[in-house]
Amino acid sequence: MSQSQDTTHAHKTLSDRVYQIVVIVFLLVAMSLMIIPFWNVVSVAFSSALGSMQSGIILWPREFTVDGFRIIWKNLGLERAFMNSLIVTVFGTIAHVLLACLAGYVLIQKDLPGRRLIVGIILATMAIPGELIIIPLFVVYKNLGLLDSLFALVLSGMVSGFSILLMRNFFSGVPFDLAESARIDGASDIRIFASIYMPLAKAGIATIALFEMVGRWNMFLPVILYINDSRKYTLQVVLRSLVTENQGNSGTSMITPNVQMAGILIAVLPLLLFYPVMQRYFVKGISLGAVKE
Amino acid sequence: MTGNMRRYAWLYVMILPILIYLALFVYYPLVQGVISSFQETKLLGATHWVGTANYETAINTKQFWQVVRNTLLIGGGIIVLGFFPPILVALALNELISLVFKKIAQTTVYIPHLFSWVVIAGMWMYILAPNGGIVNETIKALGGQPISFFTSIPWSRFLMIALPIWRDMGYYAIIYLAAITAINPSLYEAARVDGASRFQQTWQITLPLLKPTMMVVFMLNTLGMLRIFDQIFIMRNAVTKRYVDVLMTYVYDLGITQHKIGLASAISVMVLGATLVMTAIVWTVTGFGKEE
Repeated sequence: MSQSQDTTHAHKTLSDRVYQIVVIVFLLVAMSLMIIPFWNVVSVAFSSALGSMQSGIILWPREFTVDGFRIIWKNLGLERAFMNSLIVTVFGTIAHVLLACLAGYVLIQKDLPGRRLIVGIILATMAIPGELIIIPLFVVYKNLGLLDSLFALVLSGMVSGFSILLMRNFFSGVPFDLAESARIDGASDIRIFASIYMPLAKAGIATIALFEMVGRWNMFLPVILYINDSRKYTLQVVLRSLVTENQGNSGTSMITPNVQMAGILIAVLPLLLFYPVMQRYFVKGISLGAVKE
Repeated sequence: MTGNMRRYAWLYVMILPILIYLALFVYYPLVQGVISSFQETKLLGATHWVGTANYETAINTKQFWQVVRNTLLIGGGIIVLGFFPPILVALALNELISLVFKKIAQTTVYIPHLFSWVVIAGMWMYILAPNGGIVNETIKALGGQPISFFTSIPWSRFLMIALPIWRDMGYYAIIYLAAITAINPSLYEAARVDGASRFQQTWQITLPLLKPTMMVVFMLNTLGMLRIFDQIFIMRNAVTKRYVDVLMTYVYDLGITQHKIGLASAISVMVLGATLVMTAIVWTVTGFGKEE
């Protein structure tokens, strides 16, 4: 930021202009690496089945139609999968955020006996990648009778040390006097938590909620691990079988490229609609949580 | 005093769900995984102790070393080839005079990070398809032979490295950009007074000050290496499987598909050991996780 402001004073010289052009060209190349594939997907998705199968590069819809969307949504069952993903994303995110907030609040109570131990228990889990315990975890879910239920997917990843620490950091920014005076007035902790801390930590809540939403919408491994019943499959898993396992474009198959690309667009649309509105929280979350992944 | 006790009781109730969850879905499976690694599980669930037999089987299996090699190759490739692109993007974004263009560019390069691996695989399988894909149509138009990228062993390995870089470039660029923005402007002021060009300022001030961020990104990628799963599982096929399978897909195949729970657990425990050692190094170097 500071540097770009400084340049405005000096950008009249020739070398600075050339420099600026080089920078812009470089970024345009980087952007085109993102835009061209995406535009290709959009163009094919809105093409007809036949149009999408003809040879040649498609950078504009051939015989514009929404057939691809209709077929994948209705005939190939993406609708149910979409709804399953929506349920898992909404309930999973709410539960995740709520638990992270509760824990974050408890962890800022400096006088609470055993607080350090609890912090240690939570911190230690951050060193254990979930992928490494999938086999025994599968057995736990099986023994609890959770397999083949959307609840299993809501439960998966419901607690994260990262989110808890983030909320704790947000809460510790809330002036302690506020809570103290409410406590003198006889307010309980639940009340102080709900009416003072939660409203003041909206930015933190938005940040973890957004990361959680994206993560849950894109969730893959837990679904193939816990779900066998195809009616419970989520969008990603159904889409995978449609876009990666049917690469042969035989004329008889319903799964033509326009259908596949329509599926991809459906899968990214919620994220693309959401992202511009929430970008500032994403950027904040990234800089706060550079150590998460 | 009693008031305090009451208050503490409520606080414990508030944190209880988390502790139960962690006990049930993190600590218990972790302990169970270590136990299983010293056991053999029969089909009906009966187990018996086999000592370190599973570990011996693992390290005496050729395939195990093949997946270790693949993991190091793919993970190492991501670390090495993916190191400079985000830094260059961040530096370029920072040099932009037009703030509108800066915002558009930043958003555009970040967006693939939001995409799932299913979406990325579907997208690139189409773009790189032998027939009708942009890349091969271009090759054909230039008179070349189309390449079957996803069934070619060297190309599929390359894609397992290149696509994560493509996906995460904007994400890491934002991390670098935040670090650049935090650099004290007076440093540049002083350099300008001394007659340093924009390039010299970048080379001698910005880049050296980005070193801590580079370390963080390097560590993230190093730890991430052992966790690679989705991209391989989704983009591998019968032809390339042997050459792109990584530790986590191997564990999944052994444990879930082939029910070799003991062997899969033994490998998980070894990977966990490696992860813990690396995490300890990361936390020490970055100073992360320090309590008060």
